[in-house]
Amino acid sequence: MSLLAAERIAVSFGGVQAVQNLSFAVEQGEVFSIVGPNGAGKTTIFNLISRIYDVDDGRLLLDGEDITRVPRHAVAERGVARTFQNTELFEQESVLKNLLIGCHVHRATSLLSDLLFLPRVRRQELAFRRTAEQVIDLLDLQRYRDQTIANLPYGIRKMVEVARALCLKPRLLLLDEPSSGLNPEETEDLAFWLEDINEELGITVIMVEHDMNLVSRASDRVMALADGALLTIGSPDEVQRHPEVLRAYLGD
Amino acid sequence: MRFIRKTGYQDDIALFRHNGQRFWYGLLLLVLVLAPFGLDRFFLGEFALVFIYAIAGIGLMLLVGYTGLVSLGHAAFLAIGAYAQAYLLASGWSFPVAILAATALTAAVGAVVALPAMRMTGIYLAVATLAFAVIVEHILIGWVSVTGGFRGMLVPQARWLGVDLGGALAFYWLCLGFLLVTLLLALNLLRSPSGRAMVAVRDSETSAESMGIHLARTKTIAFALSAGFTGLAGALFAHKIGYLAPDAFTFLISIQLLLMVVVGGLGSLHGAIFGAVFIGLLPQGLAVMRDTLPPAIGQLPGLEPGIFGLILVLFLIYEPQGIYGRWCKIKSYFEAFPLYRRATHKRQKRYLRTERLQ
Repeated sequence: MSLLAAERIAVSFGGVQAVQNLSFAVEQGEVFSIVGPNGAGKTTIFNLISRIYDVDDGRLLLDGEDITRVPRHAVAERGVARTFQNTELFEQESVLKNLLIGCHVHRATSLLSDLLFLPRVRRQELAFRRTAEQVIDLLDLQRYRDQTIANLPYGIRKMVEVARALCLKPRLLLLDEPSSGLNPEETEDLAFWLEDINEELGITVIMVEHDMNLVSRASDRVMALADGALLTIGSPDEVQRHPEVLRAYLGD
Repeated sequence: MRFIRKTGYQDDIALFRHNGQRFWYGLLLLVLVLAPFGLDRFFLGEFALVFIYAIAGIGLMLLVGYTGLVSLGHAAFLAIGAYAQAYLLASGWSFPVAILAATALTAAVGAVVALPAMRMTGIYLAVATLAFAVIVEHILIGWVSVTGGFRGMLVPQARWLGVDLGGALAFYWLCLGFLLVTLLLALNLLRSPSGRAMVAVRDSETSAESMGIHLARTKTIAFALSAGFTGLAGALFAHKIGYLAPDAFTFLISIQLLLMVVVGGLGSLHGAIFGAVFIGLLPQGLAVMRDTLPPAIGQLPGLEPGIFGLILVLFLIYEPQGIYGRWCKIKSYFEAFPLYRRATHKRQKRYLRTERLQ
C-alpha cells in the first residue's frame, strides 16, 4: 500500500482550478519531488494534505486511511510534518523552544499535571529535550540553540524549520521549497541531510522544489504539474526530457 | 558577567538558573514575609492590593502576553470572582472551599466565553470581550436577589477555623501566599507542553496546527486559566474592599488591568508583577508628591490621572517592552560593563515576515 495516495483530488478558488483531477501515489521510503512553473498548484497540494484547504472532490489516503476530512491538528498526529515556503516559525522564541514545540504530538501529560509539573511531566520534558538535541546534532544547529528566531538569517531559519518538523518523528515529511534562499553551499548540505533523513531515519519525503540539480540528485521520482494538472510522473531524467514539461517551462 | 555552567538538561528546566537567582529571590521572599513586622498598617493594605493586582496580572498575561489574545473584559472576571466569593461565604461555605469554588466558577465562565472568542483575534476579540464585560455589569445590576443590584452587598468576614483572615497582617500573608501559588502554577505551565502550545498559537496559528496543536482547545484553556486566576484575584479583592457594588468593576478596571501587563512588559511574568507594582503604588506615590510640591502645581485638579496617563504614553512610545524590558537592558549594561555596545537592543526592521496563509 502506498504511504500517501491522492485519488482524483480537485480544488478551485473562485474560477481558478488550482488542482484538477489529480491522482498520484507516494511509496514508503522514497523521495518524491513535485516540480512545475509558478502557480502550478504545488504548494496547494501541501495545503490540501495538511488540511489548510478542503478538497472539493476526491480523496487523500494516508497509509490507507482517509484523511480528507480529519481536523487540521490530527494530520500531524498521524505522522505528517511539513515546512512552509516562507518559513512559519515561532518568531519570538528560541530555536530550542521551537523544536520542543515540534515534539508536541508526543505529549502524554494533561493540563493538570503540567500545572503541577509532576515527575512524569519532568521526565517527558527530558525526553523531548533529548529528541530535540538529536535533531540539533543531525542538522548542525548547536550554535543557534538558544538564539531567538527573529535574529537568525533566512538560511538558518529554513533549517530550523526542517529540524522542527523532524522533532515530530514523522513518517512523511513535506518540504516546501527547502532550498529557496539558501546559498549554493547550504544547498549542498541540504542534499546530504535529505539523504540522511530519508535513508537513516527512514522518513518518506515529498518536496516541492525549483532547483533541478537538487531534484535530480535527491529524488527517486518526480511529478511535474502545470496549471493544476498532471503532466507526468517518472524518474528525474525522464521528467526533464518529457516534451510536455519542456513546453510548460519554455513555451512552444 | 556570569557564565552559567550547565551539566544536564535538568538545568534548563529548573525554576532558578543559578545560585545568584536563588539568593536574590529568596531574600526578596524573606523581606516580603517579614515586612508586616516593620511596616505601617496602611502600607500593608497597599501591598496586599499590589499582590491582588499581580495575581490578576499573571492571569491576563497568560492570555495577552503568551497566547496573543487581547481581552478588554477582565473586570468582568474580577467581578464574578468577587461576587461568587461574597455570595458563597454568605451562604455559609467555609473560606477555602468558597475561594476555590469562586476561582473554578470564574474559570468555567472563561471557558464559555472562549467558545465565541475562538473565531476572533485582535481588535475583534477585544471588542467582543468588552461586550461581555458590559453584559456582566448589567447582570450585576439586574440580578438583585444574588448581587443586591445597585445597593450592592456586604462581603462577609474572611475567617477560617476561628482565625480572622481579614486583619491587616493575616490578609497580607494570605494574598502573598495566593500570589506565590499562582506564580508557581504559571511558571510550571510555561515550562510544559500546555504553555508552549499557547506560545505557538500566539506566534503562528497555521504552524501550530501543523505541529498537531489543537487550536480551539489551547485557546479555551488559555481563557479558562486566565479567567480563573483573575477570579481568584477578584475573590481576594472582595475582602479588600469589603463592600461590593457594580461600579467597582467598570470598564476602567479592564483598561487598567490591560495597561498593567503592557506597561509591565508583555510576554513575561516579571512584567505582570512589575506592572502590578506600578499600577498599585503609583497613585500613592503621586499623592505623596502632591503634598511636597508648591501649592500652585500640587493643587491642580486632575494632576494624578494626568501624570498617570503621561507615564503610560511615554512607556508605550519609548519602551514598548515595558518595565521588564527596561530592567533587562539595564542589567545587560552592567553585566557587560565596560564593554556594552550601544546598539545591543536597537530595534531592527524585520524583513521576511511571511504572508499568512488563510
